[in-house]
Order: sequence, then C-alpha cells, then structure tokens
Amino acid sequence: MGKKAAQESRTARAAEVLESQRREESRRRRTTITAVVAALVVVVGLGYLVSSTLDSSGEAAAAPGGMDGYAVTVGDEDAPTTLAFYEDPQCPICQQFESEIGDDVAAAVEAGEVKVDYHVVSFLDDASRNEWSSRAANALMVVQDLAGPDAFVAMHDLLYDNQPAEGTAGPSDAQLVAWAVEAGAPEAPARQGIESGRFDQFVVNATDQMSKDGVNGTPTVFVDGEKVDGTPADSVAAVREALGGGS
Amino acid sequence: MRDWVGLLARVVTGGVWVVAGALKLPDPAASVRAVRAYDLLPEAIVPTVGHLLPVVEVVVGLLLLVGLLTRPAAVVSSLLFVAFIVGISAAWARGMSIDCGCFGGGGFDADAREKYPWEIARDVGLLAASAWLVVRPSARLSLDRRLFGGATPNPRST
Repeated sequence: MGKKAAQESRTARAAEVLESQRREESRRRRTTITAVVAALVVVVGLGYLVSSTLDSSGEAAAAPGGMDGYAVTVGDEDAPTTLAFYEDPQCPICQQFESEIGDDVAAAVEAGEVKVDYHVVSFLDDASRNEWSSRAANALMVVQDLAGPDAFVAMHDLLYDNQPAEGTAGPSDAQLVAWAVEAGAPEAPARQGIESGRFDQFVVNATDQMSKDGVNGTPTVFVDGEKVDGTPADSVAAVREALGGGS
Repeated sequence: MRDWVGLLARVVTGGVWVVAGALKLPDPAASVRAVRAYDLLPEAIVPTVGHLLPVVEVVVGLLLLVGLLTRPAAVVSSLLFVAFIVGISAAWARGMSIDCGCFGGGGFDADAREKYPWEIARDVGLLAASAWLVVRPSARLSLDRRLFGGATPNPRST
C-alpha cells in the first residue's frame, strides 16, 4: 500500500513538473509573439510615416500669376468652345498629339473659336535621367508667371518641338532659360525661377489634382468639360471634331 | 513533402510582395494616384491607403520569406489578393483602361483590357498559394520553427 502511494505521489510530482514546464514554454512563446507583433507595428508605422512625408502633394505652393486653378487659359474668354489638355512635358504621346493638332488649335484660338485650358502635370521624371518632366513643367509655369499665356504657348511649343527621348537626359536649365527668353520672358527672373524650381510644388499639386479630376494619363482631352475616353487617336479625333469637323 | 510545397508558396508569394512593394516605395504620390485611379475608395482614405499599401506589401513579403508569423502573414496576403482581384475586375467591368499599378506605375494604359485577365489569373494563383499557407503554414527553414519550435502557434490554444 505504502509503495503504491509513494509511486502515485511520484507520478503526480512528475506531472506537476511537466505542467509547469509546459506553462513556462507557452509563456515564453506568448512573450516572443507579442514582441514580434509590436516590432512589426513599429516598422509599419515608421514606413507609413516616411511614405506620407515623402509625398508632398497638397502642401502650400506659390502659384504663378494668371492661373485659373491649375490651368493656363489660352484664347478668348468668350470663345464658344472650351478644350482642356492635360500634358506632361516628357510624354511622347503628348508630343505626337501636339504635332497632329497643335497648328489647327492655334488657328482656332487665333480666330476666337476655342479657348484651351492647359493643365501642365509631371509624373514622368522616372523616364528622364535629369528630371526633365518636372524641370520643364516648372519652366512653363515660370514663363506663364512672368509673361502670360501667349509666352506660355510659345514655350509649350518649343518644349514639345525639342522633347528629349525617354530614358535620356533632357536639356539643361541654361537651355530652358534660353527658350524662356525666346518665348518672351525676361531673362534674370526666368533664370531665377527655373534654377530654383520656383513652381515645383505647384506642379506636384497640379499632378495630384489631375488624378482627382479623374485623369489617369496624358494626353487627356476635355471638350466643354466632357472627358474624352479611349485611345490617343480618339483624343485627336475629338479635338478635330470640336474644331469644326474634317481633318 | 507538403512542407516543401509550403516553402515554395512562401518564397514565390513573399518574393512577389517584396518586389511589388519595393518598386512603389520611392514614389508614394504615384502610389496614391494608382489607388485613386480605381475610383473605388472614398477620397478621404485614398492617400492613407496609397502610402500604407507598399509598406504592408514589403513587410508581409519579408514575413513570408523568412517564415515569421507565417499564418497571420498568409491571412493578410490572402485578403490583399482578394482586394486586388476585386479591384481589377471592377476596373475591367466598368470598361476602364488603367494599369493595375501592381508593380508601381498605374494610370492610363491603352492595352490594359488585354492585360486584366492575366493579372487576375496571376493574383488568383498567388491567392491560392497564400490560402495554402493559412491552412498549412510551412515551418521548413522558418523563423517560426526556430522561435516557436513549429508553425506559428495560436496563443489561445497553448
């Protein structure tokens, strides 16, 4: 009897030891999991902080003079038809678009038949070795600020006529200044504005606004406030139709 | 054998997440525009989602690669793939032509409509791999095994 009791008590003690080991082990696991989860929350939180700090969209920006929101309006205020173009200076399809309809649009603007709202945006710096997209967009805003819409159009045409190929380095700031002067802007302030990136933040905000306007690529055309969907060829066709049909 | 399938699922899915997230990290503004282009979420949360998504993708990818908290990571991975499949399908159904923005980029893409079925097929495959890991979180070559002696335990059952 005594022998059996002793054995039972030994078994019970062994079970107790096992049980406490098991509890210790599970406590250790829980601590590790809590620590790992806490570390992950910190990492994701920091990553989010860096990410949202890196995105300056919507921050206060100096606006060029004579803008209607983020658009440069070219042409007669009372023109019966309003076109809106969203364009990135580095976008090759924009260049193609401009080369197809640019002259006709200029003639229609001249005749007072249409006015054009140019939305200059920049999201193609990755396609340039020296951030041509944002530098050129800033330079356009500098010219608009210093010399108004006619000079802006001249600068706009110069930039598309001399667009660098994707993946290459675009022209220098000095060249941008030279074109700005050719377009009609005074040299000293143009140089200052171009070299300092005076309207960089404005262009960032304009690009964010583009996306809020439901525009997901360039060129995008609106005819009298109506977005033209479809291919670049559809955009060209829509502009031709707005200019009075025919080609 | 099943553990090796799980390891393969972890490496492939984790690798895709790390690459997809890392490509988006340098340009958070583009990430926000890509999210906005789907026109599914309210504007109030679009920037937060755009900023958070690449970070979460990289973290989930790394967790799967090293096999840490494999099951919870696979749950998040599965939910994200469901969301992406819904998003791409919705864009397709509404006749939109947008780059899915899966690996950075985003915005208009003239060829988008031909790509949607392949993107959805890819995401369904990765969803299947993630779901496998939810059911059988592989512990082979994992931190889970090193730290916990097996797959991530459920704290309540220990």
